[in-house]
Amino acid sequence: MEYLSPEGLRLDGRRPMEMRQLRAEIGVVPKADGSAVFEMGNTKVIAAVYGPREVENKTHQMNDQALVRCEYSMANFSTGDRTRKPKGDRRSTEISLVIRQTMEACIITHLLPRSQIDIFVQVLQADGGTRSACINAATLALSDAGIPMHDLVTSCSAGYLKSTPFLDLNYVEDSAGGPDVTVGFLPKLDKVTLLQMDSKLPIGILEEVMLLAIEGCKAVAGYIREVLLENTKQLEYRRGG
Amino acid sequence: MKTKDEERMVTPGEILGKASEMRPGRGAYAVAETGDVYASLTGRLSWLPPRPDSPDQRPIVEITGHKAHGVVPEPGSIVIARVKKVMAKMASADIMCVDEKSVREKFTGIIRQQDVRATEIDKVDIHSSFRAGDIVRASVLSLGDARAYYLSTAKNELGVVSAAESTTGATMIPISWTEMQCPLSGQIEPRKVAKV
Repeated sequence: MEYLSPEGLRLDGRRPMEMRQLRAEIGVVPKADGSAVFEMGNTKVIAAVYGPREVENKTHQMNDQALVRCEYSMANFSTGDRTRKPKGDRRSTEISLVIRQTMEACIITHLLPRSQIDIFVQVLQADGGTRSACINAATLALSDAGIPMHDLVTSCSAGYLKSTPFLDLNYVEDSAGGPDVTVGFLPKLDKVTLLQMDSKLPIGILEEVMLLAIEGCKAVAGYIREVLLENTKQLEYRRGG
Repeated sequence: MKTKDEERMVTPGEILGKASEMRPGRGAYAVAETGDVYASLTGRLSWLPPRPDSPDQRPIVEITGHKAHGVVPEPGSIVIARVKKVMAKMASADIMCVDEKSVREKFTGIIRQQDVRATEIDKVDIHSSFRAGDIVRASVLSLGDARAYYLSTAKNELGVVSAAESTTGATMIPISWTEMQCPLSGQIEPRKVAKV
């Protein structure tokens, strides 16, 4: 498989440092307090946020901050083969935990004591980078719900194949067996909240790949900010403000 | 008051200015290390002038989002609640409105025997003050314990606002500050009536 052609093009025609096309939509689930759909190339995820609301299980209630719960699942039709167990399996549990920790660090929980915030993310179409797309969708949904946050959390993945760092791997490139570094980043505060990697990578190369992923996160942040501002303007316009 | 970019729209994480020049209000927060004020919500920026008597004369920066959040009872706010259960030493009620807004999901409040009225608080008979189903106006004393807010009706204008008579179900008319009468049956029932 030729992951990088002699002309310097990847399998889908991108350059190594090129991201896939981004598309986002807010308010897609009217019943939820906040919701969003986020697409990175062919990967499409939907996020819905409920909260802040009363804690269901009083034993988990925290008197000084909000309880953040997150559930990640993949739709049966999201991958090529029909998935056997879309949630409850180890991978989904792990990703749920990762997304929860990333978002919890960013939400200003002490402003909403004794309450619960539920984040549900579901992958509708999986083509690599589902973790990142879920975090980006969750950020949009939380912002749509009006939940106070320190900054927008954006996420992007990067890999290393044929001695070249690749930005935003798709499923085929991810399955190549090379490393897959996922970064969660707060763009305005310039802080990394998530750093995960699969497979192996020489330690000297890690920084280069991580910085490339951070550049991807900054690009996602710019796009997310545009979408949020446009959405708010539309709502104000409809309200007659 | 600032006039430049006064009404612009912001997203979470954007820097609004220095903490030395402005005070973060709703939707903004300050970081001590950098001394900057950041936005925490998506919405429109607005400036509020400082209170003339406060020692801190910095203007307050606020961000109004487009989603309205349900209102939450605060100590000191006046609430309208429906009495759920009357027990020996307290009455429990569901808070339905806070100040002038109705809540999204109901909150639980309790009115203890000593908080029903201002005088002779140890001689209060809860069953002669409230019955299940009464609508009361109360003030929030405190956030209470994990289960319920603590409410008080110990003022003239607080107490039962509307009650139904137990047999006919008709809305009763207050005849004194301790009694209400049913217009259909003439029955008089004791309540802690609010002076409307």
